[in-house]
Amino acid sequence: MPMRLVLLALWGALLLMPAGASYAHSVSVEHTLETVIALAATYDSGEPMAGAQVTVYAPNDPTTAWHTGTCDEMGRYRFAPDPALPGTWTIQVRQAGHGKTIYVEVGSSTTPATSAALVQVGSAAPYTLLQLIVMGGTVVWGCIGTALFLRGGAADAYS
Amino acid sequence: MKLLQWVLLGMGAVLTLGLVGCAAPPSAAQGTLEFRANGEDFVRQGFTSKDGWSITFNHLYVTLDELTAYQSDPPFDPEEGGTPAATVSVVLDGPITVDLAEGGPDAEPVLIGAQSAPAGHYNALSWSMVPATEGPAEGYMLVIDGTATRADETVAFVLRLNEALTFTCGDFVGDTRKGLLAADDTADIEATFHFDHLFGDGAAPADDDINTGALGFDPLAALATDGTLQIDQTELEQQISADAYALLRSILPGLGHTGEGHCATEAQAATQ
Repeated sequence: MPMRLVLLALWGALLLMPAGASYAHSVSVEHTLETVIALAATYDSGEPMAGAQVTVYAPNDPTTAWHTGTCDEMGRYRFAPDPALPGTWTIQVRQAGHGKTIYVEVGSSTTPATSAALVQVGSAAPYTLLQLIVMGGTVVWGCIGTALFLRGGAADAYS
Repeated sequence: MKLLQWVLLGMGAVLTLGLVGCAAPPSAAQGTLEFRANGEDFVRQGFTSKDGWSITFNHLYVTLDELTAYQSDPPFDPEEGGTPAATVSVVLDGPITVDLAEGGPDAEPVLIGAQSAPAGHYNALSWSMVPATEGPAEGYMLVIDGTATRADETVAFVLRLNEALTFTCGDFVGDTRKGLLAADDTADIEATFHFDHLFGDGAAPADDDINTGALGFDPLAALATDGTLQIDQTELEQQISADAYALLRSILPGLGHTGEGHCATEAQAATQ
């Protein structure tokens, strides 16, 4: 019976031992899910843009390349944008005098797709609704005030 | 009573002036947008055509009109055609003739003109090629004045072309980005012309698209007399083969770019 207790205790101790201590060649694989932008660049003829230059601009700095690379022999290229930089990512692919820019929305804070009113240089910018109401009110007030003033003045003249 | 009325009227006037002042249109942040034209190193430094002619340019006059830069949302895609969905557009009055060959081999792209413009990203550009109204290119949209040399043969040539075209292009594609205008700053936007599409590029393989689709210089050299060729488009149509003339006309719409970015091209009523 004591032998059984000893064996039971040893078995329990083995179960409680850290797994890492049991296997010298253990591995650890972690994973995260990332957004990947996959490009496939071709000429009008359908020929792949093999070796084309890829330049990526992040939303927070449209003038400095965030990443550069080269398409494979099939004109393909993949990269993972930084999820901490949501917005419109600009990607240029170019080779031998031919190029194209594409724009990819990344993350939840995407650029609104709505267009504002057309603004022509040299013409006045539009007034807001509040400004129009206030301006209209002051004009009406001015007219009423002037009418009352003239009426009062005329009454005084006859008085 | 009369004094009170004067006071009320005065208060009303002051209030009116103050409110109207506060209600003035918001002034958008402005910068300076430069419109530039670029014939690239092919024009400034010369190059070898697909058929082995070494070509240099004395002058390359192009006359531009209705130059318009756009802040387009969504961005304009020339492959899809149409017109930019402009939230802001800036127009440079024309017509203006520029010489793409001016300056030295390393000269900056030619300044066409500058315009005060709201800050933002000008991601589309359009322009028309129109006949020059004065100067050395008068009556023509495109005048190519150069010299072609191959072995012991030299041809001094002047081509005068009148192909009426409108180019509408997307974002500039190149080593740097263009059209990003910050308040109180200066940015440029560029109309780029690729003349290797016309003559081909001897540095590229013979079966490269840039050469298989190009006219080259041989058809023009064949028209030269005593090493000289001065010819306009009407005469070209009469003197070169129908296939060569059709090829020439198919090439011209592909001359206009923004850097390496392509443009949608619309033919206007032809003038000769």
